[in-house]
This record gives sequence, C-alpha cells and structure tokens, in this order.
Amino acid sequence: MSQIAIGIDLGTSNSCVAVQREGAVEVLANAFDEPITASVVGLREDGSIVVGNTARANIIQDPKHTISSSKRLMGRYYFSEEVKKAQAVCSYEITEGPNHGVRINVRDERFSPPEIGAMVLREIKSIAETRLGQPVSQAVITVPANFNDNQRQATKDAGRIAGLEVLRILNEPTAAALAYGFGKGLSQQVAVYDLGGGTFDISVLEIGSDVFEVLSTCGDTFLGGDDFDDRLIDLLADEFLEKQGINLRNDPFALEKLKAAAEAAKKELSVEEASEVRIPDIATAADGGASLSLERTVTAAEFETLVQDLIQRTFKVCDEALQQAGVVARDLDGVILVGGPTRLPIIHNAVREYFQQDPRTDVDPDQVVAMGAAIHAATLVDTDNRAFLLDVTPLSLKIGVAGGLAETIIERNTPVPIEQTRTFTTFQDNQESVVIRVCQGESRELSENELLGQFEFSGFKKARRGEVEIEVTFEINEDGIVNVTARDPETEQATSTRITLSSGLSEVEMREIIEENRTERVTSATPEDAEVLGAVDLVAKPVASVPEAREHPGPSGTADTDVMEVPAGPDEIDRSEELTDSIDIAVREDLAGGMDIDVDLNGTTQAMLDLDGEVELDLLPEAEMDRMAAEEPASHPAAGGSDPALAETQPDESLFGDVGTDLSEIAGDDPEVC
Amino acid sequence: MSALAPAEIQALARIMDELNYYQLMHVAPGASPREVKASYYATSRTFHPDANRHVSGELRRAIVEIAKRVSEAYAVLRDPRRREAYDQMLEDRRGVRLRLAQAAEESRQQGENAVHTPQGRQYWNLAQTDIARKDWPAAARNLQTALAFEPSNAAVRRALEAAKTRTG
Repeated sequence: MSQIAIGIDLGTSNSCVAVQREGAVEVLANAFDEPITASVVGLREDGSIVVGNTARANIIQDPKHTISSSKRLMGRYYFSEEVKKAQAVCSYEITEGPNHGVRINVRDERFSPPEIGAMVLREIKSIAETRLGQPVSQAVITVPANFNDNQRQATKDAGRIAGLEVLRILNEPTAAALAYGFGKGLSQQVAVYDLGGGTFDISVLEIGSDVFEVLSTCGDTFLGGDDFDDRLIDLLADEFLEKQGINLRNDPFALEKLKAAAEAAKKELSVEEASEVRIPDIATAADGGASLSLERTVTAAEFETLVQDLIQRTFKVCDEALQQAGVVARDLDGVILVGGPTRLPIIHNAVREYFQQDPRTDVDPDQVVAMGAAIHAATLVDTDNRAFLLDVTPLSLKIGVAGGLAETIIERNTPVPIEQTRTFTTFQDNQESVVIRVCQGESRELSENELLGQFEFSGFKKARRGEVEIEVTFEINEDGIVNVTARDPETEQATSTRITLSSGLSEVEMREIIEENRTERVTSATPEDAEVLGAVDLVAKPVASVPEAREHPGPSGTADTDVMEVPAGPDEIDRSEELTDSIDIAVREDLAGGMDIDVDLNGTTQAMLDLDGEVELDLLPEAEMDRMAAEEPASHPAAGGSDPALAETQPDESLFGDVGTDLSEIAGDDPEVC
Repeated sequence: MSALAPAEIQALARIMDELNYYQLMHVAPGASPREVKASYYATSRTFHPDANRHVSGELRRAIVEIAKRVSEAYAVLRDPRRREAYDQMLEDRRGVRLRLAQAAEESRQQGENAVHTPQGRQYWNLAQTDIARKDWPAAARNLQTALAFEPSNAAVRRALEAAKTRTG
C-alpha cells in the first residue's frame, strides 16, 4: 500500500485527525464514531494509559491522575505565567523539572509535557491506523499560529516520541484556510478567526489557484475558550462562597465538577437562551451535616456580559493583523471561523459586526484544521504536487542588549524560511566566549518577551577586545523553528555552541524518553471499555448537570492526597537536592517571582556598545568556563564550597551551568524530519 | 521539482551574495507590487523547501539558502519603507542586502516617539496602513488629520509631504 501521511489537529481540549485520499479529505472518527477526541490523558492504577473521552469522563472521579489541557504547558518554562495559571486551575500536580522545564507528576512517575502530548498523538495515530487499515508514520501537526519556537519544538518532540515523522509544524489558521480554499481555483483575500480552547489566532491570507500566501498572523496565547469557562466558574464559585461560606476551588473534586458544569453550560448557551446549572452534592455544609447542591440559571445575556471584554480583546488582535497585512476588514472576500468557541452566537455576531460580513459556516470549526493539515500532508508527500504554501513567522525574533532591552533581528510576519546574520565583537581582551539571549515577542523590554534560550559561543581566537568577530546567524525554518549558529568569519570555522538555557528536552533526554517508551502503555479505549468503567460521556450531551462521582465520593480522597503531598521516588530526591542548595533556591525563587533572569544576568552581561551596528558582548572568565565544562549535569556548583564571590557575581551561570545541551546534537536531528 | 538544473542552482547559491534583490527576483528596479508578488510566487515555486522535499544533500542546502534569500528580498521589496531604504542603499553602493529589522524599527520609533496625542496616533496608524497598501491619497488625508491634532509635529509633516509627492 502507498505511504500515507495524516493531518493532526492537536488541540488544547480536543484533537482531530484527517487524511486526504484520492483527492478527497475525510476526518477519521475514533472507536466511538466521534470525529473529535478529547486531549485528555488518564493514568490508571494498573499503569495503563487511556486517552480521549473515556479519560475525560474520569476527570471528576480521578482528577489527580487525569491530565487535561496539557498543551498549555508545552514548551513553557516552569517560572512562566502560563504555568502558574495552569497550576491554579489544574488538579494534577505540576512541578519543576530539570533545566526549568515543566513536569507532570502522576502516581510515581514524572512526565514532560511532550510525553503527555505524545500519548494523545499515540491514540490519534492508532485511530488513523484502525480506520485506514495500515500503519501510519508521517504526519503534519498543527499548532496555534502564535506558538513560539519552544512550543513548536515541544510539539515536534511529542510527534517523535509518539513514533511519528513530523513532516511539518503547520499553523492552525493556515490549515483552516487550506481546507477552505484548496483546489477551488479561488483568488481571494480571507481572514481566519481561530478561537481555540486555550489560544486565539487571526491570520490574513491571499489564496490563489495553487498558492496560499499568509499576509499576516497575530495572536494571543493567553486567550481561549477555557477563559470563557473560567468566567463562569468564577461566577458560580463566588456566589457559592458568598452563600455557603465554602470555597469550591479548594476541593479538586468540586472544582472538576464545576469545570465540567461551566463547559456544558457554555455549550448549551450556543443553542439556548439560558442554561440551568445543577450540581448535586458538590460540598458538605461547614458544620459537617447536610450535603449541599449548586443550582443556578445562567442566561445568554448574562454570559455575554461576563465575557464581553475577552471578545473585545480578540478584535484588538484582529486590528493588528489587518494593519500588518495592509487590508481593510470590509475588503476581505471571506471570514473563516475555527475552534469550538466560535459556535457561540455572541462570538458569531461580534465577528459579523467587526468584519461587516457573515462568517463562513460551511466547514465544521472543530474539524477544519485537521482537514487542512491532511491536505498539506498529502501535498508534501506528493512529488507531482504544484500547490504550495508561503507562511510567515508569527513573532519577532530578538536578542537581549544592554539595559534589559530586546533588539529585533527578524520582525514578525516576515516570510519563512528566513535568515539574518549579525556580527558581534568581543568586549574585553582575551575574551573566550560570547553569550547571547534569544527571545520572541513584541516588547522592547527583554523580560516581557518569551525567552527561547541562551547561547554561548566559544572557540574563537584570543585577541584584544574588538579584534575578534563572531558572525551569528539566526534562522527560522518553514516550521517556524529557530536555529542559532555562529562562526568566525576570518577562519570560516563554526564556533562551538552551548545552549545554557532552554525549556526543551535535550537530545539525550529525548533518546531516553523514546527508549523508555512510556507512551506505549496507551491502550485504545473502545465503547465496551467505557461501559465497564461506567464512564459517562460528558461531551456528547449538552446538559449542564454533572453526574455524581462514582469511585471516589466525598470532598477529598484520602489516599490520593497522600500521593500528592509526599511525592515518592525520583521527585523526592530532587527536592532534597534543592534543599541542600540554598543559592540555587534563592535564584529559582527570583525566577518564579517574574522572570528576573535579566536582572540576574546583568552581573555578567556587560553593557554592550553599538559600534558601526555591531554589538559588543560580555566576557565570561576562563576559570568559570573550565569549571562549567567539568561540571556533572546533576551537580550544583554553588553548593560545593566553591568561590562564594563567583557564585554571587555569576548567579546565572551557576544556575544554568548544569544544562549542557549541544546545539549540534539538536541540529543533527533535523534532516530526519525536514 | 525545480525547473533549474542542479548545477545552475548551485551556481546561483554561490553568486547570490553579489546579486541585488531585483536581480535575484528577476524583476526590474521599478517593478510594481503586483510584479514583485508574482515573482515571489514563481521563485518560491522553484526554491521553496516544500517544492524540493525529495532533494537532499548539497543541492538541498543550496536550495534552502536561496529560498531564505528570496524571503528576505520579498520582505524588503513588498514593504514601501524598506524598499525606499534599499533603493537608496543600492544607489549609494552600500551593498546588496538590507538588514530587515533596521528600516522598520527606525520608522516605527520615529512614529511612536513623534506622535503624542491619542487622536494623532490613531490617524498616524491609519496612514501607516494606507502606506502599506500604497494608497497615497488616503495616507495623505489621514496624515493631514493627524497634523490637525499635532500642528507642530515635524515627523507627521514630513510623512505628509512624502505622501503628497507620491499622490502626484
């Protein structure tokens, strides 16, 4: 049979898979005949892993072992705002992993977000294989257009862990436009309004007969359907607190019930004028007596008031995208809606008003992205294909410069692939290395942008300051993934590169994860399983009441609380190590307090002079370099009686010194997936 | 697959640093935005990595190098502000590559620093959209309005003069 490549929409709440065969695009339904599968992972006591709606139905009974919305953690640093936000609303345990990464602790195991993503992908892959009756190894996976490099890389890693060759990381709105206009001989300018579970994107595209050109794309990664739910949750929880004096947010079981009820109410409000929320036995009265229920009718008008500002925020982003594309709203030939929340009449109406035209409703907003990904996957494996896609980078690529500022290297909405080169020179005599911080975002302030990583270049000749040149090349490929390399222009030799800070998995970690292959434990759920488990399908029913918990009734499961508070195994060891390392902890707390890396680094990253457009960079003492090179990855330099002055002036290096990822290793991995 | 022979592609990658963006894109220096776009599509058809998925090794590297330069050329030639700076650069014989961030950053800073009132900024931003679309009469109108809010603003006045000149 011929090689087949699938398109996967790996969503925050739901995922969908499609394939293009003989010119026709079809969405592949799961064993329950549902076109979309919940992006929820459940880890059962016997070690098996379930993914999808079965896992999702279990959230209320088993919130600590059921992982939802993990996409929000993809490619994030532990100290990021988004992770803190996730910790506040997620019932599963989110902890700090190596290298400031994020780990999810379930039972005795720790998983990186890409591994959880890989479990969802493993299930999706298996759905496709079942439907197609043949193995599948190649896929196009979509991401929100506004995803940064770290998030794209993490998504690509997830694909690899799941045993997929990721042909392309494709932007969701671009995929939607493909599904809308591919092969129709159109000549149009369209906007794609994509409001997903966790993110909002808007893209403006020019569609030709066989060319899709993205003119601009803008987004907000902190805005999605989940935020609409949160507003409802807040309303319900606040009122309950006022009336009963009980904060439902403090009880993971009650919180999950609330979340499910809020989401169901939101869905009901897409078709009804009002929704009745009814959650029986959500809490026990403070005096330990009666069981309390939550009952509340929410009207569409009330809901609109709750979320009005969120909707307006999306149009601010639309303003930007239109301006960047040089297009006026009323001149657009079409507006395509993507994402479940766009089903809400309030959104639909607001979009119509803003764009002064009726948005297209001929493609299912939950399936359009996967369909576009499938079309693109087919064009990528088809050697005779004439159609192609010209996309842009969604975020400006910047480097840190003096004064805590960020200087733009590649502006957002620049077509990709793209490359820009800058020449740097040394700042001090006999300087041995140059450190560059690379970030993405639109702020002038370095700390307000998303830090991609810190690169350290060395191995060039020793000379007086200003006499050494280092040519650094910043590249963004078709996947939107950033690559930074450096060379000595005199010798044309590549300098050695160390990534001293990166939220991603190192190549070594990736190999370990693939070797360990925990995602293999994903067992595909079937309708029969669901019956056995007594799982209730919350998705299919637009009913705002929530079934009672079955397996773990009561306000808090005692056995589970133990697991959560006293982590066993490797996690415990990690914590004790942290306690012996006071300096490390101090800096970590700084980081948690709002990304103070820049402030910390000012001790080492000296002021840079702009000299004929060249930026001068700092020195790292030789001794410190040697010491770092000799460091074992797990050891903590500041703790072992090393020079305290060094630790004080170089807090960033003692903190980031245990990284040791080699860029060449990561780059070496590329040809396999390009 | 590329229409060019592998040897031609590698030769192009080698001499690329000596070609200006117009030469690379096969368009005349006075080419219209429409011509620039058409050339971008045609050139991408040959050099975009997606169109060359089945090519590997040295040849692929050459193709990717060219594709990146084509993106750069398009990013400059489609943007009136960058293109103006680039044309000046060619005239002064200061090289054939424009640093992408430079022109945009300068012009944005100029605008942001220069326009102080909220209304002035609003019309200034509208004018920027018009300029991007090369709608000079509309840009002139909006700049004129911006100037009404900030009559002594030299940056707005300069931009207005430029828009008027282009309106002809």
